[in-house]
Formats: sequence, C-alpha cells, structure tokens
Amino acid sequence: MSLFTFLFHASTSLFEHVRHLLEQLTSTTMASPVDSVAPSEGWVTKRSHSHRLVQLKTKEECRLGNETIQVWTVELPSRHAEWVLKIVKEQVKDQDMIDLQHLRRFAKPKFLPQHVVGQRDKVKEMYSIPRAWESTPFAVMQAPSTTTWEYAWPKNTKQMNRPQTLHLLICPTRFIQLSDLHALLMQHTPFCSSADSWAYPLQIKEVTVPLLSPTSPQQADMWSRDYWPTFYRKTNPFGAHPATIWKAEDELQNVSAPGNVDVKEAMTLAKTVGRETEIRGYGIGPGCVIMERVDNVTQIVAVAGDARSKPVKAGSMVEDTNTHGCNGNIMGHAVMRAIGIVGRKRLRAASHIISTRAAKAERSFETCGLGHDEQARDAFFLDLPITPLEEKYFADDNLVPDGYLCLRLEVYLTHEPCMMCSMALVHSRVGRVVFLHRMPQTGGLTAELARNDSGPVGLGYGLCWRKELNWQFMCWEYAEEQKKGSTGKVEDSSTTDHHAQHIARATLDLTGMDTDFNGEDDDDDDYASVSSFVESTHV
Amino acid sequence: MVFPPIPNREYHEHFMRQAIQMAELALASDETPVGCVFVHSGEVIGRGINGTNASLNGTRHAEFVALAEIMSRHPQSILTTTDLYVTVEPCIMCASALRQYGIRAVYFGCLNDRFGGCGGVMKIHSDPGVDPAYPVYGGLFREEAIMLLRRFYVQENEKAPEPKPKKNRELKTEILPVTVTQPTAAAAKSNMAAARAGELKHQMA
Repeated sequence: MSLFTFLFHASTSLFEHVRHLLEQLTSTTMASPVDSVAPSEGWVTKRSHSHRLVQLKTKEECRLGNETIQVWTVELPSRHAEWVLKIVKEQVKDQDMIDLQHLRRFAKPKFLPQHVVGQRDKVKEMYSIPRAWESTPFAVMQAPSTTTWEYAWPKNTKQMNRPQTLHLLICPTRFIQLSDLHALLMQHTPFCSSADSWAYPLQIKEVTVPLLSPTSPQQADMWSRDYWPTFYRKTNPFGAHPATIWKAEDELQNVSAPGNVDVKEAMTLAKTVGRETEIRGYGIGPGCVIMERVDNVTQIVAVAGDARSKPVKAGSMVEDTNTHGCNGNIMGHAVMRAIGIVGRKRLRAASHIISTRAAKAERSFETCGLGHDEQARDAFFLDLPITPLEEKYFADDNLVPDGYLCLRLEVYLTHEPCMMCSMALVHSRVGRVVFLHRMPQTGGLTAELARNDSGPVGLGYGLCWRKELNWQFMCWEYAEEQKKGSTGKVEDSSTTDHHAQHIARATLDLTGMDTDFNGEDDDDDDYASVSSFVESTHV
Repeated sequence: MVFPPIPNREYHEHFMRQAIQMAELALASDETPVGCVFVHSGEVIGRGINGTNASLNGTRHAEFVALAEIMSRHPQSILTTTDLYVTVEPCIMCASALRQYGIRAVYFGCLNDRFGGCGGVMKIHSDPGVDPAYPVYGGLFREEAIMLLRRFYVQENEKAPEPKPKKNRELKTEILPVTVTQPTAAAAKSNMAAARAGELKHQMA
C-alpha cells in the first residue's frame, strides 16, 4: 500500500471515528427519521447490519482482465541489450499498435516465472548444434603449482564466466515471423559474432503475456508471478481513475458540510420513498433518490417510489402483460419516474430561453398531429409526485437552474435497475449511482456473469461503464458488511474476497426466496423487507 | 450488418412510410427526426416523435410518446399483438422497455450504432432474459432514415453542455453500411456538427 493510500485510509478512519463519537452524543436528543440505520464499528446498540460501498467492476475489467497475447523474447547479455532493442524498434514495423507499456521490456532471469526461463526453444530445435561442454563429464585435474587434485565442473565454469543476461520482450508474435526475426537478429551482435554466439546462442522464445494493464497492484503481482514482470501504474483503462473513485467514496461517506446527506441517509430515504408508494398500493417497493452536489453541499432534488401498479386510466386496473412477473406499467419504475420528475422540476424552474424552447417543442407535437391529452400522458409517465414525501422534494426549488438533464447528479437506489432504467441513467448523464440490492436476473449495471463458486450472478451488461456508449458513470453496490470478524474498515487486498462472499451470499438469499416467497425475514434488517418480490422482477 | 429479407415487405413499407412522415414532421419543427408508429391488426394505434426537448427529459423517446397515446385508449395487453415501426433502431432503453411490455415485433429503418438495443450495439431484444424475446427486422427505407438524421445534425442545438471537439467530423453525403443515432447523442455533438457545417458553407462560398 502506498503512503498516500495509507494516509487516506488513516484520515478517513479518524474522521469516521470522531463522527461516530459525535453521533453517540447527539443521538439521545435527536431522532431523525432517516437515522434508523445504526453506525458501525462497535457503536451498534441496535441489531442492524452496516453497509459499505463496493465499486462495481466494469464490463471490460471482467471481460478483458485475463486476455493474453503471444510475444517473442530473447535472452542476451545486458551490455548488448540497448543495441538489440534499437534494432528491433527500427526493423519490426507497427509493433507500437499494441500497447504493452505495462510490461517490462527487459527482465532479469531471476524475476521471470520458471516456465518462461526454462521454456522450450524452437529455433534451437530448428538449428540444433551439439554443445560439447554440456555433455563433457567433469574431470579431475592437478594445477601446475600444487599436488592437490581438484574437480573441474564444466557447469560451474560456464556460470562463472557468463556475465549478466537479460530477457528482452521483442514484440507480439503477429508482427514478425519467427524465421524473419531469427534472420534479423543473426545479423547483429552478440548473435552474429562467432565468439559471443558460442556463449549466447540465439534462443528465441514464444511467451504468453497479459495484453492489458492490470487494474490493481495485486493483479500486477499475480501477473508478474504467472506471466512476465508487470507494472501497476495507478490508472485504470477500463473504468474510472482510482483517485476519482477515492474522492467520490470520500464525498459519499463523509459529511463534510452541516446538513449534508451521506450515502447511509440517502439509502434509507430511498427505502422510505419506495415504501410510501408501496403502502398506497401503487408499487412493489423499490425507491430512488436523486441528489445534486454543488461545492460540497448536497441537495436532494427528486425522490420517487416504484409505481408500476398505479392505474393509467381512472377506474381501471393495471394488468400484467406477462404471467411470470409484476410487470405492470414499465414507466412506473422508480428510476424512470425520478428522472422524469427532475425534468418536470427543471421545466418549472427554467429560464425564459429554456422554457420558450420547451414550449416550442411541445407545440411541435401538435404540428405533428399528436394527441395532447396531458392527463393521460402524466398518468402513463408518472413524472409528477404521487406521495407527500415525493411532493416535499419536488416542491423545493433547489436545482441549479438550466442544468442539462441529470448531468453529474447522484442516484441512490434500493435495487439494481433493469436495463431500461440503467440506459435511462446513461441517457440522463448521471454522475454516480449507488444501489443496495443486486438483481442477478434483471439488473443492468453489474458486469459479472458468473462465478465459479456460486454460478450465475448477473446478466453481465455492466451498463455503467461501457466504452461503446457515449457516457459512463461510477457505480457502487452498497454491500452488507461481513457479520463476523468484520472490523469495519476493509483493506484493499481483501476487497475482492469480501465482494465474492457477498455475491455468493446474495445469490443464496435469492435462491432461498423461491421457496420462502413473501415469508417475513427473521432478521430485523431494515433493508431486508424491501425485496418482497421475485428475483425475476425488473426494477 | 446485412439485413435479411423481410417477408411481405410492401405491407411493412406502408407503415414505415408513415413512421418516416412522423420523422419529417419532427425535423420540420426542429425536433430530432425519429418517428414511429405502433400497428395493431393493420391499424395505427399510436404515433410518436421524440419529446426530449419538450420535457427536458432525455428518456422521452418517440416510442414512449407513442406508448402514452396507446395506453390512454387501450389495455396494456394490446402490445402483445402489436408491431412497432420506427425509423431508427430502438435504443437499449427502449428495446428493454418494449420487451418488458411484450411487443410482438419491431421493424426499423437504420441501425443505431451509438446505443442501439436491437443489434446496433446490444441485442436486448433477443438476449437471455426473463421476458420473451421479440423479432426485429431492419433496413426499411434505411437511406431515408439516415438522411433525415444527417439533415438534423447540421442544425443547431445549443443545449448541450461543453461540446467536445471531434476530429475528422465531416458532413458525409454517401450512405455507409451502418449509421447514426437518436437524440441525446445528437444533443452532445450537434454543436460541433453545426460548426462544421458552417465551415463547409464557408469553403463553398
């Protein structure tokens, strides 16, 4: 762990510690409705689980993380290394097309995996020359000045006389044929000189190396051990930059200004919002909170609960188009509603220019001969508040005026959204998304398809960070802490293990729900009761 | 991508023509030129153009606008025997929504290689999932659908935040194998497109 990371963690822990102390002091006098989740780390008096942010792996991290490429390598004395590299760079065309900056160009034999150092040499097999010193048995000799007999080991002699060698990563095998490469290198020292080539026969090897940069120091260590010495450069080509993620996680978890809402409170609010519509019979429980963060001050700009069961026409019932789920009105999904409410709020607070333009666009519907039944449209899109809680946040004119869609806003969800809602978040240009429950059969944000230990864990879309799409956002699962042996702060190295266990457990929970559908969870976890619908439901 | 032949093509062209007309009307009123019609038993039951500018909501695509019209008059189950004709391939969001609503089939003009959900970028219509898959047929009046979008991209749209300069952006006139997009990408890039168009005019003058 680097010094910076250490300091970062240390200061975060300290900060949390102080905050928890303060919370302890004030909790006797203040009772906030969103305070029902107790703080973690030994301060818990109430039986409840603590959660923490687990950044989602991106699709590319899952898909390409283990992709490899074949390269040619050659062992050569270190004094010739630069010269041979120069020749290779000049003579092998287009090799820069594949970026292998994460790999050492020269590697000392002692840092190479055994299978690389000792691999079969194809050229040697092509031009096999018997080498006398290898087959000569040791001899017993007497030095001229003494009478002592000494054993002479040819192997020892060879090792002692041979200066340091390096292994050069020449280029990916696709850029030059073995015979061409052999012919090229044979023209240059040390391989062309008969004296040197006796000691350094040209041995070209084909080696498998990781194609893409590692995304963590642990991965770099693993690849160095298994393939070829690999660098971790504190960047992630397949997702957000680690520094950006640390900053975001700090902002989400630590209340840096009075009145700010942290992830825990936002998540509790999302849950309450979902329950508000559920108890009215409008939906099945999921909730969504959209927050704006300007100059480190948070503002909740819209909240919406799932309302798929709210009738589109007065007096009618919402029907299920499919027998297997609670489809209802798909526009009633919490994310779609919340995004719509942000639009309505922007419209209300819009400057003259923006509202004029919107009005013009509205008129174009009539120009196109489209019906103008506003009531029916609102009943379908459900983009206006339908509960007092939704109304409360809608009424507050706290959006930065004339903003663009949901650009860089933060979204807190009780459930991983379905593909429609995930793409709606992309279209709306949101900045950060945190969700509580994974939805392995319908969720659009997670990128993992399956795990060896637990089988299928998701659809693998990873829509939060797809290079193919024109917008990416950071996304976290608000994962439950391990119940036993957890000390709250989990170090980087154990993150993946913890994550894996969480996924395995989540999948088990879901499988269990099949038989125990609608059964009340015996745990009094505030979040558990939210998922009282089947796992094949789109949320 | 090569589109396979569509059985009874003329029948479907009749409805795609109506979707193109919607897109034409949208373009005439400075809206993103994507149009669609939903057809049930040979009758158009819903029509739509993009409503993103009117609602300041980036998810208000033509398909959804048309669905709102349908739902005001019909039960939701009508969609299981309804086909959609849309000038541009439905995006990933719409493709998922249509699948969840249980649409019978989707006919489209051109592919949407930025965020198409029916083959352009992803295959939401046919991927494994909890809802039944639906068939898609592409390439009906494809060239017209593409040209409608290109005409739109040279118009101005100043709502986009900090448009990023795009290298090699030119107004193309020939039709290439695959094509462009729906509204939000348009919003993000059209400033630059407009600027380029200005340059072109300048060069021609």
